[in-house]
Formats: sequence, C-alpha cells, structure tokens
Amino acid sequence: MNTSLKPSDISKPSDCLCHIEPGELSLLPPPYEDFNQTAIPPLKPEKIKNIEASLDDTVAIGIPKPASAEEEKELVHQFLGGLKKLFEKENNWTFLQPLLLSMEHCAKCQTCSNACPVYEMSGRKEIHRPIFRAEVLRRIYKKYLKPGGKITAKLTGDIDLNWTTIARLAELSYRCTLCRRCATVCPIGVDNGLINHEIRKLFSQEMGIAPKELHEKGTVQHLRVGSTTGMNPLAAKDSAEFIQEEMEEIAGYKVEIPWDVEGADILLLHNAGEMLAWPENVGAFAIIFQAAGISWTLSSEAAGYDAVNYGLWYDDVQFSRVAVKHADIARRLKVKKIVMGECGHAHKALTVIADRLLTGDLNIPRESAMVTLENIVLNGKLQFDPLKNNFPVTLHDPCNMVRSMGIVEPQRRILRKIAPRFREMTPHGVENYCCGGGSGFAIMSGYNFAEWRNLVSSRKKFLQILNAFEDEPQDVPKYVCAPCSNCKGTIRDMINYYHAEKRSGLHYGGLVELIVNALAGMKKPIIRFGEKPSWEL
Amino acid sequence: MGFYVLSYLCIAVFIIATGCLIYRQLSFPLHVRWEIYPVRHETIARVAYGGSYMEELNWWEKKYKSSLINELKYMVPEILFLRGLWKENRNLWWLSFPFHFGMYLMIATFALLLLHAFFTLWGLPVFAAGGSVSILLSGLIVVTGWSGLILGNIGSIGVLYKRMTEAELRNYSSFGDYFNILFIFLFFLSAFITCLFFDPFLAGAKAYTLGLLTGGHSLNSYMPGQSVSGSLAIVSASLLVAYIPLTHMSHMYMKYFLYHDVKWDDAPNLPGGKIEAAIKNNLKFKPTWKAKHIEADGQKSWKDIAAAAPKEMK
Repeated sequence: MNTSLKPSDISKPSDCLCHIEPGELSLLPPPYEDFNQTAIPPLKPEKIKNIEASLDDTVAIGIPKPASAEEEKELVHQFLGGLKKLFEKENNWTFLQPLLLSMEHCAKCQTCSNACPVYEMSGRKEIHRPIFRAEVLRRIYKKYLKPGGKITAKLTGDIDLNWTTIARLAELSYRCTLCRRCATVCPIGVDNGLINHEIRKLFSQEMGIAPKELHEKGTVQHLRVGSTTGMNPLAAKDSAEFIQEEMEEIAGYKVEIPWDVEGADILLLHNAGEMLAWPENVGAFAIIFQAAGISWTLSSEAAGYDAVNYGLWYDDVQFSRVAVKHADIARRLKVKKIVMGECGHAHKALTVIADRLLTGDLNIPRESAMVTLENIVLNGKLQFDPLKNNFPVTLHDPCNMVRSMGIVEPQRRILRKIAPRFREMTPHGVENYCCGGGSGFAIMSGYNFAEWRNLVSSRKKFLQILNAFEDEPQDVPKYVCAPCSNCKGTIRDMINYYHAEKRSGLHYGGLVELIVNALAGMKKPIIRFGEKPSWEL
Repeated sequence: MGFYVLSYLCIAVFIIATGCLIYRQLSFPLHVRWEIYPVRHETIARVAYGGSYMEELNWWEKKYKSSLINELKYMVPEILFLRGLWKENRNLWWLSFPFHFGMYLMIATFALLLLHAFFTLWGLPVFAAGGSVSILLSGLIVVTGWSGLILGNIGSIGVLYKRMTEAELRNYSSFGDYFNILFIFLFFLSAFITCLFFDPFLAGAKAYTLGLLTGGHSLNSYMPGQSVSGSLAIVSASLLVAYIPLTHMSHMYMKYFLYHDVKWDDAPNLPGGKIEAAIKNNLKFKPTWKAKHIEADGQKSWKDIAAAAPKEMK
C-alpha cells in the first residue's frame, strides 16, 4: 500500500506517479485466481511518446505534450482562467453553490475513501482516494485564486502549479466513475464526485480537453449526425426495421415500431447503442407497449432517437444543447410525456439535471421506463408465466437511476412478479456499487483504458455479481439484469474479460427482455442462454 | 474591561461572519439539481429504501411534498451525534464524537449561563437564591460544563493524535488543520484547569456571563484575570467564537446547506413556479468560457448558446 504519496506530489515530474504491481489489486475468488497476478498491460512507448501519460498505468484522454516552455506556460495560464470561471455565476451558475460548499467544508476525515470501489479495488492507491484530486484542486484554488493565497498556502496546504500538475489532474478526473458513493457517506455532505465533475468541465469548457469518445465522437457527433453511435436518422429507421423482423423471428411476435406519431402519449427515448448492440431490448419495449395498447412513438429526428447525453459527465454547455434538443423534439411531436428507456445517465440527464434548464413548453414531463413498465406489469394489463424465467436473476442498480434519482423499487416490484429466483446483490439500492463504466468509462477504450476498467473500476461489481450467485452451481445459467445501456456494456465486457460465461454461467441483459420472456402466450423465449443472436453471428 | 471588549468584538465577528456566510448561500443563483438519495424529506416509507416521488406514475400530476420534520429527524442526530461517522468511520467516531459533542456541550453551557444571567438580572422571585429553579439551573451548568470539558479534552487530544500518527490523515493535513485542533484544545485545557483548581462550580463563568450582559458593570460580575488559566479560557473562547466561521470548521452549522440545499434539493421545476422564474434569470447569464466549441463571446446568453449546435470541434 502506497500511503506516502501526498497531494503536492502530483506536481513533481516523474515517469509514473502511481503504478499498480501485479498482485496489488483486490483478490478475486476461485475460479478467477489466475487474474490476481494480471497487471494492466503496459502502454506502448511509441503510442504515448507525444502524449501526457505520467499519472499511472493507463491513459483516458491522451493530451498532447506541449511543444515548448512557452506553450506550457500558456496552458497553465488557461487552466487558471478556467478555474476562476468555475467560481463565477455567469459561467457556472449550474453548480456554483454545491461546488463552493464542497470546496470549503471538507474536514479531510477520509470517510469517503472506504466507500470508493476504485480506491478499494486498486489496492488502495493514494491517487484514487476521492479526496486526492479534490484536495489538489482545493490547494490550487486557495493558493492561486484567493487573495494572499501564495503566502497562506504555507499554512493551509501548498502545491506547485505546473504543466505536470495540470496534465495529471486532467487524466485523474477520468479515474473516478462519478458514482457518488463518496458523497453518500460524507458526514458533512461534501461531494468529491462533484468536484471531479467540475474539474472535467474546466478542462473541456475552457481548454477544449476531453476524451474523444465523450466529445468529438460523443456530444459533437450526437448534435451533428444525430447519434453518438454515428447512426443518422435513415440508419436508425433501418435498424428498427431490422429489429421488427428479428422480433418476429426470435419471439414469434409481429411488432410495429411507430415513428414520429404526433400527439402520441409517450415519446420513448432509447440509448441508440441498444439498436446496434442489443436490438432485442428495443424490440422487447415495442412488444410490451404494443401488447399493453400504449400510445407511443419513437422520433426519427437527429438526436431524437438517441437518449444519451454525454455532456452530463464533462461539459454543461454540451449537456444543455443535447437536453434542449431532446425537449424540443418532444415539444414538436406534441407528446404527453417522454419516457426514458433503459439508460441510467440519460434518465438523470433529462429528468433531474435538465429540470433546472428547461422552461415553458420545453418542460415536457419526463418519466422513467421503470415506472411505466411497473404500471403495465403490475396492473394486470398483461398476463405472465414467471416460470419461464426460472433461472437465477440478480439486479444491478445503475447509479444515475437509483442513487441520483431514487428510482429503486419499481424495477424490483417487476422482478418479484416475473422472476421467481430473483436475489439482491450486497449492498444494493442506493448503496449499490457502480458497474465500473460510469461517467463515460463504458464507452472509453483508447490506449489500454478498457483493460484498466475491467481490472480496476469494474472489479467490485464483478465481485458483487459472483457473490450474488455463490449458492448456485457453476453450470446453471445466471442472469444479471442491468437496466442501463452503459452498465450493460460494462458487464458484457467484464463477463468476456474474465471468461465468466464459461466459468460461472454468467449472462446479462435488460429488464424488458425478462418481462417479454415471461409473457404468457409468447411462442418462443427471447432469452436463450448460450445461443448467439443473429446480429452477432 | 479589556476581556469584555474582546468578547464583544469576537461575538460581533461571529455574527457578521456567520451572517455573511448565510447571506452568500441565500444569494447564489439557483443551481441544477444534484440530489442524492435517500432524500430525507421524502415520506418515511420512501426514506427507508431511498426512493423518490419520481417512482410514481405521472408524478408531475401529484402535489410535491417535502417534510421538514423528516429532514430534522435525520439532521439533528447527524449534527449532534455524528451518525454518519458512526456508521461509516467508527474508528474516527470514538474520537471525533467527544471532540464535537464537547463543543456542543460548551455551547449548551453558555446558553444555560445566559439564562442564569437573565434570571439574575430580572430578579425573578422564582429564581431566588436557594430556590429549586436556581439550584436546578446551577446544577445543569455544572453537569454540562464539566461533561463538555472532559469530552472536549479527550476528543481534542484524540483527534490531534490520530491526525498526527495516521498517514491517511497526516498526508492531507496542513499546519492550519493542526492549529485549529490545538486552538480548540487550548480552550478546553485552560477551562478545565480553571474549573479543576479555581472554579469547580463555574461561579466565575456565571459572573463573567452576567458581566457580558451588563458591560461589566454589575456588582456580581466577574473581574477577569484572577487566574492565568481563567484569563486564557476567556481569551481563547472569545477568539474561537470569532475564528470558527472564518474556517472550514463552520461545517458544524453550514452542514445544513450542504444537506438541505444540495444533497436533498429535489424540488421539481413546475410550470409558472418560482424555480422556473429563477431558471429564466440564470439563462440570461453570459458565459465567457474559451473552448471553441462553447462559442461564447461574452454577448451570447446561456439560452442562446444552448439553443445552437457547435460549429467548432474543440
């Protein structure tokens, strides 16, 4: 355990501030012991020679190295300009009060550390303490922005500000999944997750620094093309046609996916990743809504068929643009409400955060699909045969939907009705652990970041899943229900990485697939363990 | 008289500084929602598992309910007994609780001393010397005072020792952090020595408080300086009162805003309501962020910028 590292060490140049040796990560139980000596694959020197990679064993952003001392100086100057703006209402009215409260009242008691799965799983590496990056920012703020800060820094905690500090801080802001478990346990109410979020904003909004998966390929592509997947409206409609055919083929159910129905009761917003990676999820929603006689529609307008809002993780302006776009599409379709599909961050983005952004006729009511589905499943509109789901099922709680929104019980009430062998993880609900893919990590895979995610940030969730099924024989197929696209992607990757389908019989999927699988009268099961669907063949 | 002047000045600094802290909180622009569940003003049934009103079908058609009682049911034990620390960081609680509770008991003692001084000044018959009310109040002052001093001394030494000896605390501690604890310890220690050797029934404290209400002119008021430790206790207590709101130690009461205004602020934006009006004002702010994709020029408002797609990539 490396406890000698201090926040001020971030500014001291070295090749690697924090390295994880094989065997230092938290131990995995049998039959996964072979992964206990696995190290994060080293970054290839030729790939990182021109980028900043001195924080740890991975790279999330890949910031180009400054070409000269002047450029370094200019970047430091830009950073301080951005930092100042974080504390101005004109620039940061969105989070000014929460940020200042968290910046000014931390007692440095370290209660947050034990709540952080990344810190725990990393072998308790100092840089992964929730307070580490917050304290770095706090010291820079006090020293360089507060009057007399350079003198009082000797008393309140000193730090040097140079390009090394800044480049490492930018990278370090992408080692936290923003799960906010740390904020839940803080006795004072300080939110180190929020401070991390604000660091990311500073870099993006002032310096144009953000992971390309979130920015160029994320929000920018979303606003330009229509989806972060790169799908334009035509491709989205083609996908839906394919899904209709597949549903008839797989489940024996003829379904119509309605597009652009003006005045429909519901505009359903899916994460467009579902259409490409898990089309059965989109199909299952269509089957349920059609069978229940719901008036609903999808939108084929650019951005209207992709619920994601990556701005939530790094940039308030990009966030606002996407949220306004979503609301405006719903307004023009004259729907009664927007229902958020199985995508956790999209839930929080449009329902909670955008709630203090949308006014007038843009403020269309928004509802979680968990709630809509609960009403359909429990009110007797549809008939179920729960024994069709007679396999062990556990539920993953997406942080954004559960801890940040309080949508906890609807999905559980559904599962209790349709999945007789449902069991909880420990802990669960608002105390859950992040899947490890939160805050954009699920879609970030440049350099060796995917390996870091599988080995470090997803490790706690993997352990939780194994524990939930520890009383089941290895060869029994088990279902991890993750009603969130990014969580699902992360769980898919961890199952593949650890060969957990073969070793533990782990499978994963959404909630609607379980609902459709249990529908009485369906000709064929939609969940077929061990069979690859046609789109993966 | 110098002691009284110092106390008055320090109390004035406390009132002004705390007033400024609270005014600043009240004058911030409305921030976006960033609540975290459980939100304690929800119904008891929902608080039990962390649920929200958004679990209801068409939640916007129902009246938004928020129970201050439910909030206080959580907040009061949290502030008084550090419940969160008990649950999440038990090792630290054993030291942090006596440290904090010692201070709370000193505040309670001061409140009782003020009450005693008021009764004395008013000369109420029910408070006559030797009467049951007088005895009860004096007894309470002794009990809270001694308890606070004992707990405070134990807690101060404990948290200081822990911060100095445990790397995870030491590596994040500055001179200021140690100074704060030592400052508080100085008060607890000097007050404890005074009580132990010179004033076991806090008669001096009673008289000094009476003096505070009379500008030191009452016949019964205390003449400070009778013992070094007594003088030190008065000076350190006064300075501490002024110092706390200027530091992060104001979390003792600023915690209210961290919880109430951020962690539990789930109030929905309903059409035509106060929140919507505040948002409209916020959207008039003109940002100056410099990244090209923001396209801020100091003239465009948040509303203008949010309604336009970026032309630039970076």
